[in-house]
Amino acid sequence: MLRISIPERANWKRKAEEFGFKFHTMHGEAYWDESAYYQFSLEQIEKDLEAPTEDIHQMCLEVVDKVANSQELLEKFQIPELFWQQIADSWQNQDPSLYSRLDFAYHGKGPAKLYENNADTPTSLYESGFWQWLWLEEQVNAGKIAKQADQFNSLQEKLVHRLAAIAKHYDISQMHFACCQDTDEDRGTVQYLQDCAKESGLDNDFVFIEDIGLADCGSFSDLHDTKIQTLFKLYPWEFMQREEFGQSIKNAQVNWLEPIWKSILSNKALMPMLWKLFPNHPNLLPAYFEDELAKATESKLVKKPLFSREGANISVIENGKTVLHADGPYGEEGFIYQAYYPLPQFGNNHTLIGSWLVNDQAAGISLREDSSPITQDMSRYLPHIIL
Amino acid sequence: MQSNKTKRSKSINLSSMRKSFSVKPLALGVAAIFLSACGDEQEATVFTSVDECTNANPEFAEKCKTAYEEAVREAERTGPKYNTQSDCESEFGNNQCRVVQNDSGSFFMPFMAGYMLSNIMSPRGYYSQPMFTSYSRYSPYRNRWIGADGYDFGDQRSRNMRVSEKALKPKPTVTKTMSRGGFGSSVRAKSSWGSSSKKGGWGG
Repeated sequence: MLRISIPERANWKRKAEEFGFKFHTMHGEAYWDESAYYQFSLEQIEKDLEAPTEDIHQMCLEVVDKVANSQELLEKFQIPELFWQQIADSWQNQDPSLYSRLDFAYHGKGPAKLYENNADTPTSLYESGFWQWLWLEEQVNAGKIAKQADQFNSLQEKLVHRLAAIAKHYDISQMHFACCQDTDEDRGTVQYLQDCAKESGLDNDFVFIEDIGLADCGSFSDLHDTKIQTLFKLYPWEFMQREEFGQSIKNAQVNWLEPIWKSILSNKALMPMLWKLFPNHPNLLPAYFEDELAKATESKLVKKPLFSREGANISVIENGKTVLHADGPYGEEGFIYQAYYPLPQFGNNHTLIGSWLVNDQAAGISLREDSSPITQDMSRYLPHIIL
Repeated sequence: MQSNKTKRSKSINLSSMRKSFSVKPLALGVAAIFLSACGDEQEATVFTSVDECTNANPEFAEKCKTAYEEAVREAERTGPKYNTQSDCESEFGNNQCRVVQNDSGSFFMPFMAGYMLSNIMSPRGYYSQPMFTSYSRYSPYRNRWIGADGYDFGDQRSRNMRVSEKALKPKPTVTKTMSRGGFGSSVRAKSSWGSSSKKGGWGG
């Protein structure tokens, strides 16, 4: 695993315009950064990332199976009681999932350590599935990168196939897609999935989360008053379950993407549960619920809210003292603790690897760099190659 | 465990990944055709002139003409509109655009390339809509039949198609919406915390 500098493509911003990649620069700061790339060996990819990604996914499904059938655990996961039965039913029915992203700290050797599972609303999908693919294609064609270079990135291909399979499962030919207003990044991510849906032969319609309506018959509706039958929502289950329309979810009879059983995986309580079920697994870090903190033998721990995104509200605690803290609006539902394990550093950059799954298949990686050891939402995105 | 298979998507259709109307048109049309519900798909034909339509349907010459005139009006009302000639031409090709003047100002629009006609023989009425196509090799619309809203109806060489009702008419209204805004409040609450350096997405 190397970090290698390379000149940017001269015309990439114009290209980004052409392909509708609008969020490569945000608030005046670069998000997409092609001044360098990461290089992996095929063995690093297959042995250290691809295989563990699929293994961990299976382990996560075992957690779902346990939690979905236990009131005590559902409570521990802070899932409102109204949804316990819906989650159990959705799991029982094996409602199909689309995708997830596992975040790893990986130093180029030894086992990659799982930080968390973004199983409900992972972003940076377009940059990964399409934009870094195009970058490699063009750098190879320009002779800047060796011809035999490859990339761990079959995301787009797999997403298209998976969407077709889900359509078949539900016997549908159309899907609705939704995200919140006023965010180019989320809109771009959802547009990408709409593009993939179109590629797989599906009609697609878009509605903003805030515009979703509740109809007299109990269905949810879009702005044309059309019934929402299947909905991909880039909006977290834990928010929806606590909002006004949350109580209407059951009767609305929507085919949800992600399915509601994923509430169990997008929850940081997953981490101590994994450690309980698979203690000392090489890809896991020791993790504890708040009430078992006494069991922790580590002197340095990371405290994470049960629900949080993009590094918000995370603190690093050393011998009981907070030594590093990231602000944020989360934490009211409680916290979990995970053994401190640093990200690898390349120069001043701390590098996090996101490893994608489409359903249960490993589908590629994305790399984010930050100047802080807690990667946050302004971390830069860098492409990678296999050579 | 190493494999010789490539680990990336084999190919991606780049033209389908280019964003429709990559330079944003000022206005995007909406499919403006109403169709009575009768089955999933309708036979539809694209004609590039009134004569072509009349030759194919001699007994409906009058309908061919009215449908054409309606499509022209519809094209002007709902077709893609651009601020500059070059924006329009980069999507539709050189010399494929014209100036249009209306209440809101002057715009550049692609020429109507044909009109789609469906149910011409139905006593309950026919349906027509304007078709556009692009001659720009940078456009995903090159040699495709494109509706006013950017909908791709397929290769320009094929004139007869089965079109889902959905493509021709506004989505069926099956529900009476009682209230909106019941989702999204967490974002408002959490955003009020957010500093301006946050980009504000809710994915992870």
